[in-house]
Amino acid sequence: MKKILLNRDFILFSIILIILIAVGFANPLFVTPKSISDVLTDTSILIILALSQMIVILIRAIDLSVASNLALSGMLISLLSTVHPELPVYYFIALSCVIGTILGVLNGISIAILKVPFIVTTLGTLSIYRGLIYFVSDGKQVYSNEFSEDFLALIHVKFLSLSFLFWLAVVVFIVIYVLLNHTRFGRNLYSLGGNPDAAKYIGINENKYIIMAYSLSGFFAGLCGYLWVARYSVASTQIAIGFELTVISACVVGGISVMGGVGTVLGCVLGALLIGLIRNALPAVDISQFWQLAISGAIILLAIIINTKTEQRKEKTIMVKN
Amino acid sequence: MKLELKNISKNFHGVKALQNVDFQLQENSIHALLGENGAGKSTLVKILCGVYQPDSGIINLNNKQQSIPDPSASLSLGISAIHQESVMFDELSVTENVFIGNHITKSNGLVDWGLMQDKTNQLLKDLEANIEPNEKIKDLSIAQRHIVQISRSLIHDADIVIMDEPTASLSQKEINELYTIIRNLKKQNKSIIFISHKLDEVIEVCDEFTVLRDGELIKSDSIQNTNKDQLITYMAGREVNQIFPKNNVTIENEIFEVRNLFKKTQFKDINFNLRKKEILGFYGLVGSGRTEIMKSIFGITKLDEGEILFKDQKILIKKPSDAIDQGIVYLSEERQQLGMTGLMSVKDNINMAVMDRNSNFYVMNTLKEIKNSSAMQEKLNIKVSYWSQLTQSLSGGNQQKTVIAKWLSTKPEVLILDEPTKGIDVRSKSAVHEFMGELVEEGMSIMMISSELPEILGMCDRVVVMYKGLIKDILNVKEASSEQIVKLASGES
Repeated sequence: MKKILLNRDFILFSIILIILIAVGFANPLFVTPKSISDVLTDTSILIILALSQMIVILIRAIDLSVASNLALSGMLISLLSTVHPELPVYYFIALSCVIGTILGVLNGISIAILKVPFIVTTLGTLSIYRGLIYFVSDGKQVYSNEFSEDFLALIHVKFLSLSFLFWLAVVVFIVIYVLLNHTRFGRNLYSLGGNPDAAKYIGINENKYIIMAYSLSGFFAGLCGYLWVARYSVASTQIAIGFELTVISACVVGGISVMGGVGTVLGCVLGALLIGLIRNALPAVDISQFWQLAISGAIILLAIIINTKTEQRKEKTIMVKN
Repeated sequence: MKLELKNISKNFHGVKALQNVDFQLQENSIHALLGENGAGKSTLVKILCGVYQPDSGIINLNNKQQSIPDPSASLSLGISAIHQESVMFDELSVTENVFIGNHITKSNGLVDWGLMQDKTNQLLKDLEANIEPNEKIKDLSIAQRHIVQISRSLIHDADIVIMDEPTASLSQKEINELYTIIRNLKKQNKSIIFISHKLDEVIEVCDEFTVLRDGELIKSDSIQNTNKDQLITYMAGREVNQIFPKNNVTIENEIFEVRNLFKKTQFKDINFNLRKKEILGFYGLVGSGRTEIMKSIFGITKLDEGEILFKDQKILIKKPSDAIDQGIVYLSEERQQLGMTGLMSVKDNINMAVMDRNSNFYVMNTLKEIKNSSAMQEKLNIKVSYWSQLTQSLSGGNQQKTVIAKWLSTKPEVLILDEPTKGIDVRSKSAVHEFMGELVEEGMSIMMISSELPEILGMCDRVVVMYKGLIKDILNVKEASSEQIVKLASGES
């Protein structure tokens, strides 16, 4: 019983419930099914990106370029759709994923082969990919009336009165869950992050895993590029700016250790949900916009403090009781 | 013959770690590999594991010559080692640690957790170990971790299992359980290389033995043809062949004393004193609590109980700067990590601990700094190519001297040296020894942790022998025999 109560995921889930109940008391309208399904839809992109960021964080790295990657992939397919509005939407989704993957592989190659530290590499590509958007778009926006109907329709499909975005996030959750828990690839990511030296002893090829992790992160950034553009019906140089920090916060809140090798897929999703909930709940309880950023930051810190306090480190033992 | 090593030699920067060593492991036998710290056992094991490459020599496995270029080659040849240092994944389950890098997959490519779980369960049952396959490694005791490592080598189908001091931190009950497991392994036709400092257990468990000393083969024979005393003589019995320039100084009055130091799970009942101009040695196996005591005295970790007296005054040390202010300094064993900043110049490193003395109103006085560092460089003969040379580009010996210079700049009265000559070449070693002698002559008192018996015997006036967090005895070095010290340190008397 005690083990369950101290479980990170359980604590996080409780925090989410408590916030939900508290906000419900202050504003009953916030806890209607409609409103909750809106929050879920709004958080779906964050969930997908947090799950793919988790793969990278597991091997002791970070991908700061996801938001720029998302924006660049999104802009490129938007520009293409203005020229070729007749193409089917699946074509754009696939293309966005391919572009994202290529951008991710470039990160991976720079880190694994050229040995540029991951923080420098992705900080650099964060600027490069964002800069390329200006280059390809001449700084102009693609407005909602310029997209084809087909391009924007998919995102509004509903199933069981829940949005396409939500169901896609569920699918990604299941895929990543299986990948990390039930494939050799996923398990080797955990061992590589948990103890890199020992992982080499058992013959795990570190470079291969770095490139794979970054290409997966890029793939999902590309996917979210389409989702973002379609959802907000606009592509501009400014979309998702700074969003990488929200994604990383979601992972950290979700108990994915930046020291590598630790974290559950469920925890990651809960972390994203908590952040999505806070962002949506604060306006609902009439907290001034000026306070929202500071309060959500404070709640994130609090969640992390509670999280780490439950982890007790054991002291090393020299004397042995015989 | 299962495994045969012929004429293996290995040098590290001119230090001969192994010299023409022969080693033969019979089929179906438990072979003890014996020797003091630094005798070359670990180097030999690392060669077998593919971590080091021998400079010369031949490895024959099942009468076929083999090379072991990397760890995975070693594994695929059926050699598996249970290391002292952790090669486990703390956050992963027992099952996963057993199968790591070797996960069983179903036909659809997914990992077959059920089958792995069952196999681990069966394996642990065969080993008569009471471990849950679902537990995380970080929640296991050291004995249980060893068993998980043994299970891993069984899964890899290893014919040769190397155990590096598997009983070092185990209780008697756990040790007996491990013996049963080792004997079971032998029944399953495995050959075992068993490294241990505990000679009683070697005689009880092993069939053959090989003793190394200073990287050379001393004796290899069947256990039946020897006894404990003879083994001790093989290991320790040598003349002190290095020159230890400990000058004869008159030891004066007591300057430093500790009473009843206690820290939970680490050490207790620690009482000793240090006299002016004395060198007090601390000998024991790695992990016997020596470093932990010194860290507590220096204020890096907190004592649970006990008092420290300096010049007959009770002093309170809460943090390292308190100790430095009193004139007590500690030179860490991990000089790369804790003693110096490799990316700073020698001058900056030397002045690091005395910044407040070299500054006026928080502004550094560069002239004072240069004066201090050049005086120290001259005194310790630290060789730098140019004045701003980075410390990390110096040789190990010069790095060690830089760390010493840093602490000497604080003008201490009590110097605590933790393995001061670990991993440096012979010439630098004797330079450090010579320098220790000079310091004592100038009136300093030194406490030195060392795992090298000749160093203790050559340099110290008295030696504190430790075993598992307890002081076994404090001996006068002139009257003590090396056999006696080795015995005490392995907890055998």
